[in-house]
Amino acid sequence: MNIIEIRGLTKDYPLGKTIVHALRGIDLSIAKGDLVSVMGPSGSGKTTLLNVIGCIDLATAGSVKIGDRELTALDDKQVTDLRLHRLGFIFQTFNLIPVLTSTENVEFPLLLQKRLDRKEIRRRAEKLLDDVGLSEYRRNRPSELSGGQRQRVAIARALVTHPDIVLADEPTANLDSATGASILEIMKEMNAREQTTFLFSTHDKNVLKYARTVVNIKDGLIDGN
Amino acid sequence: MRLLLIISLRNLFRQKRRSALLGAAIAIGMAILVIANSFSHGISDLLFNRILAFVSGHVSVAFTQNGNAMRPYFRDGERLMETARRAFPEGSRVTEGVGLFSRAIGNGRSDNVILVGMDTRSKATKKQVADLKANFRMVQGRYEDLQRDDIENPVLVASDKAEYLKLRLGDAVKVRFQDIYGRSQAASLTVAGIFHPANVFMSAPVFLDLRVVRRLAGYGQHDIGQIYVTMPDPKAHAVEAADRLHGMLHPPLAAAFGRLEKAARGAGAQSAGVQAAVGRRAGTQPAAGEASVGQRAGAQPATVLGFRVDSSSLSGLSRLLKPYLPAAMDSLRRTDVLIDHALADSLGLHVGDRCLLRYRAKHDTGEGVADLKVTAVLADNPMVSGHAILVNDKDFYAFYYAEWPLAPTREQGAFLPDSGNALYPFLCREWNLLPRTRTTEELRRKYQDIPGMKSHATTVDVQTMYESASMVVKLEYALNLITLAAVLILFFIIQVGVINTLRMTIRERTREIGTIRAIGMQKSSVRSIFMLETFFLAWFACCAGLALAFVGMALLHLIPFHMEGNPLGMLLVDGHLYFKSNPWGIIAYLALILAIAVGTAWFPSRRAADLPAAEALRHYG
Repeated sequence: MNIIEIRGLTKDYPLGKTIVHALRGIDLSIAKGDLVSVMGPSGSGKTTLLNVIGCIDLATAGSVKIGDRELTALDDKQVTDLRLHRLGFIFQTFNLIPVLTSTENVEFPLLLQKRLDRKEIRRRAEKLLDDVGLSEYRRNRPSELSGGQRQRVAIARALVTHPDIVLADEPTANLDSATGASILEIMKEMNAREQTTFLFSTHDKNVLKYARTVVNIKDGLIDGN
Repeated sequence: MRLLLIISLRNLFRQKRRSALLGAAIAIGMAILVIANSFSHGISDLLFNRILAFVSGHVSVAFTQNGNAMRPYFRDGERLMETARRAFPEGSRVTEGVGLFSRAIGNGRSDNVILVGMDTRSKATKKQVADLKANFRMVQGRYEDLQRDDIENPVLVASDKAEYLKLRLGDAVKVRFQDIYGRSQAASLTVAGIFHPANVFMSAPVFLDLRVVRRLAGYGQHDIGQIYVTMPDPKAHAVEAADRLHGMLHPPLAAAFGRLEKAARGAGAQSAGVQAAVGRRAGTQPAAGEASVGQRAGAQPATVLGFRVDSSSLSGLSRLLKPYLPAAMDSLRRTDVLIDHALADSLGLHVGDRCLLRYRAKHDTGEGVADLKVTAVLADNPMVSGHAILVNDKDFYAFYYAEWPLAPTREQGAFLPDSGNALYPFLCREWNLLPRTRTTEELRRKYQDIPGMKSHATTVDVQTMYESASMVVKLEYALNLITLAAVLILFFIIQVGVINTLRMTIRERTREIGTIRAIGMQKSSVRSIFMLETFFLAWFACCAGLALAFVGMALLHLIPFHMEGNPLGMLLVDGHLYFKSNPWGIIAYLALILAIAVGTAWFPSRRAADLPAAEALRHYG
């Protein structure tokens, strides 16, 4: 069963006086529970593809479905809700909220959902921090953590809502190879344990071994699967 | 919401220097506003609550005879006092006020003073006693000495007045004045106490026991000078209560009912024209030549009513009565006394005859007597359905106020026209109730118009201190307006500060905004974060500003000013600036500042919330 169905996706955006054709007609299906790596050089359209799948950017044309929901038919509020309840994000630069502690950062999406009580939210956040090996850093703010630790907090934040899909844009780009490897190991482990679909972009061929499916992208087109 | 509060508060402390600078500007603005407001409110409080309330009450009922403010009395005093007590809320104090302008002669020097009566015997609340003590800080003697009977007319004198008149404790001071009847009088007072005046207004009067001033001024047992009412929270309730009292003081029709008899021809030394007798107190003997007491044979029950003589009323009544007046009379005159045909016939009265109405007086067990000279006999008419005499305003009030008649009833057989009777609008009332006014200017015009009323009725005027000194309210308003205008300029600068601060903040936090939007925060929540940040900044700054204002006021209050003889001295209390904070004013300023700050934050916050998440995440600031 496919969790993501993309047909004829194009994305153009203006850059000064010119129009950049970031995606030129992508067709892609991703099965639920897969661990997918989107490979390609810089400027190939990896991040744009992830942004469109993650509903933080709008497609110029084409169809994008998450489960049975067609993204192009949703308004801003519905798209925001979809992001909150069905998607998790891991960013290259971690993007933690600097004024919140590790635990609060992980709790953040659950607090926005307003579905669980405070105790359950705290329990889940702490459990996930334990899972990523940060139980000692619960009260630390992002500025007091190393890059690897921050990215682990980001992974915990992305997983805390039990999303259908976790999108990770170059999650290891700002980390040394050992730390990057540990992060990918965690993602692989979570994928296996939670059956969460992981889609991460990278230009590092060394990380391919962690992926079950590899999608090559070049000049805004799928170059091979 | 808790999440938004946490993020907003923590973000506020993230940029300490920027927040501190903007907060300081808001705090200073708030402090200026509060200090200026407290100063203007202090002036208003000083004049209204410490001076005017003390001198004339929050609400007063003033009386004049023929518009003469030097004749302030009302003959049926207790009745109006009782009405006033019913009109005001619990906690109000209704007292009689009497003041008398006089010339005081001290030891080798003289000066104008006002003799003010203090009601030392009525019950007072703790606050009223405290206010009194604050006004009378005795240097020598005691406030209670005003009640002493072993001292001749004891008075309290302000220390500077005592110094000017070279008076010491126990000294006699002579005063010359006119009593309420306009007669020149003199009296000797004894200095029973000297006090330090809390403000310049306490220097001019000398204070006596109310009973003493009443006696000196010539007030009778049932007379009253003025009514002063002090009440809780006068600013909120005084005008409303005064309006209520005014509504309760609408005067009823004035009428005297008794037995009318023909007086012996040539009796009484009456001058030419129609003359009214003066009512006579119970137990006094009839004037020489008057017919004897009313129960004698031939006396008829009759009602005497007054008619108005202002031009409009006189011409209206003339038109109304013309068909029933003797053919020789073209119109009604200001001096007429009209007797109805049946009554004249039954007593054998003709034009030029004198008659006496003997009636029950209200305040004494005896009778009042009205001595009237008939100027015309009215033919039978549908407006007068009983034995009645219509007397001109002047002659009517002359006997009416000399001996206030007991209110007649229809059951007794009195002729009391109701409002449906065509005569009704032209008939005299027990007093003239002046319309309520809202400003000092309206009040002044009202008193200017009294002579035009051509009435000898006592005027009754209900006023609050806010209209008798509306210029103080205007002064306070103007001061607040000037301050507000000045501070609004300051707040324009603050607005620019808020906008710039937020623009910088949003620019710095663009990626953060992209992140929280990507995670799933709605636009409205993003907007709220920035608005809450501004709200908290303004709130903390206002609190700091408030503290700063109170410290500032305390320090300013410590500075002594020497303004003796300077009119600006009225703004001081004991030679120091006087501030009185106004909680509602502070709340209003707080709300205004918060509204300006949050309102200013709205647009940058909305722009932050509308940032496309993908674009925000791409931002490198």
